[in-house]
Amino acid sequence: MNSQLIQLNDLGFSYDQGKTETIKGVSLDIPEKQVTAFIGPSGCGKSTLLRCLNRMNDLIDTAKITRGSIKILGQDIHASDVDAIELRKHVGMVFQKYNPFPKSIYENVAYGLRIQGIKNKDVLDEAVERSLKGSALWDEVKDRLKTSALGLSGGQQQRLCIARTIAVQPKVILMDEPCSALDPIATAKVEELITELREQYTIVIVTHSMQQASRVSDRTAFFYLGELIEYDKTNTIFQNPSQKHTEDYISGRFG
Amino acid sequence: MPDQIHILTEFDQALSDLKNNTLEMGVLTKRNVENAFTGLTQRDLAICNQVIADDEEVDQLEIQIDNDSLQLMAKFQPFASDLRLVITSMKITHDLERISDHAVSIAKRSRKIIKYGDLEEISLIEPSYNQALKMLDSAMASYSEKCTQQALAVLAMDDELRKFHKMATKAYTKKLEEPCENYKSFLNLTFIIRWVERIGNLSINIAEDVIFMESAQDIRHGGELEE
Repeated sequence: MNSQLIQLNDLGFSYDQGKTETIKGVSLDIPEKQVTAFIGPSGCGKSTLLRCLNRMNDLIDTAKITRGSIKILGQDIHASDVDAIELRKHVGMVFQKYNPFPKSIYENVAYGLRIQGIKNKDVLDEAVERSLKGSALWDEVKDRLKTSALGLSGGQQQRLCIARTIAVQPKVILMDEPCSALDPIATAKVEELITELREQYTIVIVTHSMQQASRVSDRTAFFYLGELIEYDKTNTIFQNPSQKHTEDYISGRFG
Repeated sequence: MPDQIHILTEFDQALSDLKNNTLEMGVLTKRNVENAFTGLTQRDLAICNQVIADDEEVDQLEIQIDNDSLQLMAKFQPFASDLRLVITSMKITHDLERISDHAVSIAKRSRKIIKYGDLEEISLIEPSYNQALKMLDSAMASYSEKCTQQALAVLAMDDELRKFHKMATKAYTKKLEEPCENYKSFLNLTFIIRWVERIGNLSINIAEDVIFMESAQDIRHGGELEE
């Protein structure tokens, strides 16, 4: 069953304390254990919206939710009793530029658990192995877990960041253009991984690659100037979108 | 749906070339069908031979269009209506090639018929031929104009074609049931009327593909077009 894990209702967001809205009343339900892609031209608000989902924008002083709500598992994530740090344990994020810590491969994956206070070596070992297997990296790094993560290739570093994200067993993984800095082979490995992770996690991915969105996602949302223009099954969006604006964008007709 | 041009002019050019080549293939195919019929009715051996030779042009265009489509897909990775245009063009060219093959078959049988005396029953082919040619014309026009209504009209022409085909087949079969010195020609005419009907059937395929191209709905094998 694919229930709606994330529910956005008339969400508005501003970077300048409400003077101008970057996201203008977006309503959208994201189903559980599926991959949802956000597409749209630069500046359309898709990355901003992604960062709203784990309150990453809280780190910007002038940022403000201007209207509406975001519910994850029925819980309003901006409610006064919700702690942003706690929220991010459940809603992990993978960034455009892979950003492993300057630590060993093992410590990168164990980091999230350590800051949760877990010290038991057996528990940590098990979590590191599970996460590296989960990110399809285990076979490549199992014999050098204590070496620096910065010695890995770009693609491996990105998969390590995914391992670090899933180590704390989040419900949702947000990915902000996770393959834009990777070569085609590393991209294919990450895309294959996304397809496998879908079995356990709800994934929301921002991508500028129409091919990537059509390959990895179940549903696709097209944004333009802060508004949600069309949201449908990925096959429909790429084969027969209902909005002319969507068709123009995906087929390269956008001026 | 889209009326804006692509940002990549080369993409627009490739799509436009694909469409123009498909339309050209349609024109050449129609010419072969017309010549085959002229060869038969005018008892013109030279025109029959020309149909057989001209089929090569159609074959080569099919290969070129397939190749261009493959390159277009690899290079520009079309989506939505662009993708449907490429796929539809490839399917249409396959149907056109089959139609031109039928024209060749008609020309070959006509050469045999011409060797013997004139038969007034040849004229029984004409209603089916006119109908099939109209269907081919309309199907290619619907592709050119991207017109679903015109494509739907081609589907509606099938009943009439079937009626004409049945009428001619019945007459030829009746002739063959009795001893008759021209039995070989009547046998050849039953083949020819069958190929003429096939030309109409393949034109329906083209029309169905145009409907898919325009509406993204597959109405083949009894499907209905939803609003």
